[in-house]
Amino acid sequence: MKRMTGVLCAVSAAVMLTSCGAKTDETVSIEIDALAEDLLETVASDSLSETASSLIASIYYLDEDAIASSVAYASSGATSCEIAVIESADADDVTEVEEKLRTRVDNQEQLYATYNESEADRLDSAIIKSAGAYTVLCVCDDTDAAEEILQSYGF
Amino acid sequence: MAQGRRRRRRRRSEFAFVLKLIITVALVIFVFEGRLIYTMFTFDSSDKTVAVETEDASGSIQESTQSAEPVVSDSMYLAGLADAGPAVSSTEPETESETEPLTEHDTVTNPDSSAIVREQEEAVDDSYFSDAVFIGDSRMEGFRNTSGIKEGTFFTSVGMSLDSMTSEEIISDGEDMITVAAALSGGTYGKIYLMLGANDLGEYSWSGFQSGFTSVTERFLEIQPDATLYVCSCIYVEEDKVATGDYINNQNVDSLNAVLLEVCEEEGYYYLDLNEVLSDGYGSLIEDASTDGVHLSAEYCKVMLNYLKTHYVSETEEDI
Repeated sequence: MKRMTGVLCAVSAAVMLTSCGAKTDETVSIEIDALAEDLLETVASDSLSETASSLIASIYYLDEDAIASSVAYASSGATSCEIAVIESADADDVTEVEEKLRTRVDNQEQLYATYNESEADRLDSAIIKSAGAYTVLCVCDDTDAAEEILQSYGF
Repeated sequence: MAQGRRRRRRRRSEFAFVLKLIITVALVIFVFEGRLIYTMFTFDSSDKTVAVETEDASGSIQESTQSAEPVVSDSMYLAGLADAGPAVSSTEPETESETEPLTEHDTVTNPDSSAIVREQEEAVDDSYFSDAVFIGDSRMEGFRNTSGIKEGTFFTSVGMSLDSMTSEEIISDGEDMITVAAALSGGTYGKIYLMLGANDLGEYSWSGFQSGFTSVTERFLEIQPDATLYVCSCIYVEEDKVATGDYINNQNVDSLNAVLLEVCEEEGYYYLDLNEVLSDGYGSLIEDASTDGVHLSAEYCKVMLNYLKTHYVSETEEDI
């Protein structure tokens, strides 16, 4: 009976773990515009504006066909602040999207490092996170607030 | 008697099994869904929408992404501009603007120059820029980011100067950093829009800048022989807001633009006098067109986009 109990417990735990994983990957649904607008509140030192969605793929070196939807807010050039929310067509692509966003941040940091260290420092604290098919880049002033917002959206 | 004991033992055993199962399930839920439960109780669903005002009237669009006025920190100033001071040169640019009473000011040294692109009766739409490549510094990057332009390829780099544009690896191809010329070699373009100058004010003697600029444009047209080259004027600054470097002044902007126009006249390029719509009429950037005195706000990036849509060279003009 004890052996039977152990087996049943293991099976039930495995079933629950599997269902947990599936929930993360397939059922996360985020309103990307609402998330981006919430994250805008973490930028105090600049006034970001929405970038045309048709340019987002080229700015972040992404494959246009691999993007289901996207929104980005960027700076006039005065600061390095920027916010991008990308929904991948395939949730399996988020790792690659994260890598591309990291490349963007690293490049900007390299360029800013030569003459504006404070902006380079800001880029050093850039947040790149994924949940389900969604990936977020947030370069802002208040990273703690950004983390809280992302947590509330399931990141 | 013995049968009764066995039955009681079996019942106790079944009860213990069910109890263990319930405890296990509860533990698993607690461990793996604890964050979800926490979020359920702590999620703040208050409305956090951001006010976005949009007003569209002939390129004059106001867009606000912050409900409060942005705070301008010292570190903002001149982000995107080189911090080096002016180089010592026999023909060194002026380091200070003279304070004189405001007088009306022409934005170009030769208003009748044939190199200046005139306003067309009909504006083009964004598809005109589908074969265009925009090369420039943080101001051009800001234009890409905030003007709302939907088409075009952008090779921009914060801090881009004539020097770095000529030789340094400052453009990302998604993996490596490459030179502007290498990036330009990666496609075929019908138009090149070039915006430089903000990082060159005070960096060169004007004659040195002129020869360097001519060399780099020649190189770009070797790479793209069929492209029409538009040279954007250096946009004025709002001097009171510029916190770093006296050499970032409108007198130097005028001097640099005179050089750009001369190169356009000599080489047959097209000069876009952006200050025609961005000047306050007295040789300075329109007040409050920029938060840091240098980078245009979204509203004025849209004005610039509207200018590009109405200032282009028609095919018949190109043939002349």
